[in-house]
Amino acid sequence: MTPPHRATRRGAWRWLSDAWYRLLCILLAVFLAALIVPVSLQIFSRHTALIPAYIWTEEMARLMFVWVIMIGAMVGMRDRLHFTVDIWPTLSPRANAWLELGAGLFTFGFALVFVWAGWEFTEFAIYRISELAELPLWTIHVAWPVLGVTWIIFHGEHMVRMARLAFGIDPTPPPGQVANGPGT
Amino acid sequence: MSLMFSPAEASALLFGIFFSLLLLRVPVAVSLGLACIPMLLLEQQLSLMLLVQETFNAYNSFILLAVPFFLLTANLMNIGGITQRLVRLSRALVGRLPGSLAQVNIVLSVFFAGISGSSTADAASQGRLFIDAQIKEGYDRSFSVAITAVSSVMAVIIPPSILMIVWGGVLTTSIGALFLAGVIPGLLIGVVQMLTVHAYAKRRGYPTYPGSGLREMLIALIAAAPALVTPVIIIGGKIFGWFTATESACIAVLYAMVLSVFVYREMSFAGVHKALLETGRLAGVTLFCVGTASAFGWMMAYYQIPQALLKDILGWGLGPVGAGFFIAAVFLVVGCFLDAIPAIIIVGAILQPLAQKVGLDPVHFAMIGIVSLAFGLVTPPYGLCLMISCSIGGVRLGYVIKDVLLMLIPMFLVLMLVIVWPQVSLFLPGLISPEFLK
Repeated sequence: MTPPHRATRRGAWRWLSDAWYRLLCILLAVFLAALIVPVSLQIFSRHTALIPAYIWTEEMARLMFVWVIMIGAMVGMRDRLHFTVDIWPTLSPRANAWLELGAGLFTFGFALVFVWAGWEFTEFAIYRISELAELPLWTIHVAWPVLGVTWIIFHGEHMVRMARLAFGIDPTPPPGQVANGPGT
Repeated sequence: MSLMFSPAEASALLFGIFFSLLLLRVPVAVSLGLACIPMLLLEQQLSLMLLVQETFNAYNSFILLAVPFFLLTANLMNIGGITQRLVRLSRALVGRLPGSLAQVNIVLSVFFAGISGSSTADAASQGRLFIDAQIKEGYDRSFSVAITAVSSVMAVIIPPSILMIVWGGVLTTSIGALFLAGVIPGLLIGVVQMLTVHAYAKRRGYPTYPGSGLREMLIALIAAAPALVTPVIIIGGKIFGWFTATESACIAVLYAMVLSVFVYREMSFAGVHKALLETGRLAGVTLFCVGTASAFGWMMAYYQIPQALLKDILGWGLGPVGAGFFIAAVFLVVGCFLDAIPAIIIVGAILQPLAQKVGLDPVHFAMIGIVSLAFGLVTPPYGLCLMISCSIGGVRLGYVIKDVLLMLIPMFLVLMLVIVWPQVSLFLPGLISPEFLK
């Protein structure tokens, strides 16, 4: 049995990760809905005299779009949506867990690269502003290290689950977890 | 500038790492990114930040914005009652044919393709609508999953299409011309799929509905009319220059919203939230892969791998038809392992000089590429639409592969026609807006 203090710690961790995930989902929906605004403005300002032709709409749309992709990719990591190519035969849950662990290490390494290089990328933009909307560019560049850290958290949870399964600590695979393929 | 690796060594390293990681079931996006890393570390002029910078450059693109917009259109259609009207119309039109529900599945895909430009969205929404319903009516499970997946690929061939927008943007081809060029090949694919279903239904005795009367057909048509206007607005608007390709996708979202809220009045706040979230997740994972594919493509260009690969092929002395078949073969193989957008970014750029050299019209070249890549959406091991349909149908890829391959044979004949007879693609653009060609 898990000692009570460890269970609490895991509970707190779970709560934090859940909260972060939920926040990301809200941001994703809001940013995506918001994307419609600048592009619509751009069309209507061209064809009607009702609103002036703002020059920042295209840039604003692009920069929000970057965040939509990055948050979508973060949420997608927790939902195990990133597409893989599966040419393996049907494996036992335990063998599958070992394979997931092996593949997972590479994804982990990739996330670390995004944290490291992404931080450099953010520092590089710290005093720069965008050309038209004059937004501080670091607010966009910071999406890279944030994705790296978020992947480490979400993917880390998956790795822990797989490790428990692989080492036989917790022999039941998590419910609803599809080992591979899109969950859509 | 002296480089550490020759084009041959660099391509062996890039592709070697990429395929090894794929084999290990590392996500495609991650494998593409990781394949670049050894050279980024070893080559003196390069650094890890380049990977980040290249992904940023890929996402910072107004063209790709069309992807979430078309996905959102599809999701809004489903929650806002548009899909339902189109189902009724499809049923009134083809319900009397053998294998009625499967025929409806295909005709709905044609309508859907004219409004949304995303095959994955089509596979996801129609999978939920049709797979279980077909099985309940006595269709085989593998047939039901396969026909849903295979019919969804029309969404990227019939305009509007995400692939056409990306192709036009990456390889500077007129998107208006591509939209027009896709109409005939797309409809031909629809027709051969209906024939395929007919053959299956006759052989296996799949159920046929009683035919709809003229009255029902008229009512269904009137109910669906506002939705049927969408392709005219989107494609017309693009061709007449009212808006850009990305803006046309945004117009599709706005129009779907107006229809759902004011005409059909079936949209709820919870529904919109769900549609936004699903769109964001799918767009996020799809486009994230485009970023790392762009970095991969950048590395290939840096080591001049495309030129090295093409040097031999240009020496083969291929004619336009031979080159067309070669291009289709390359896209068909690549499509088995890569999503269509990264494939356009990486492979489209490699093959473009070949198409130019043999005198293929850029629009014809694009249609060969896009139709071939559409096949890739349902060919294993990486066929996104097939994976989505299988996951909804609760089966593994291997279970449905025989039916998928059978259904692809008639479609392959259409691809051959597209290659051999350029007018299949070029007739409509030549008729409506000849200034777009060459």
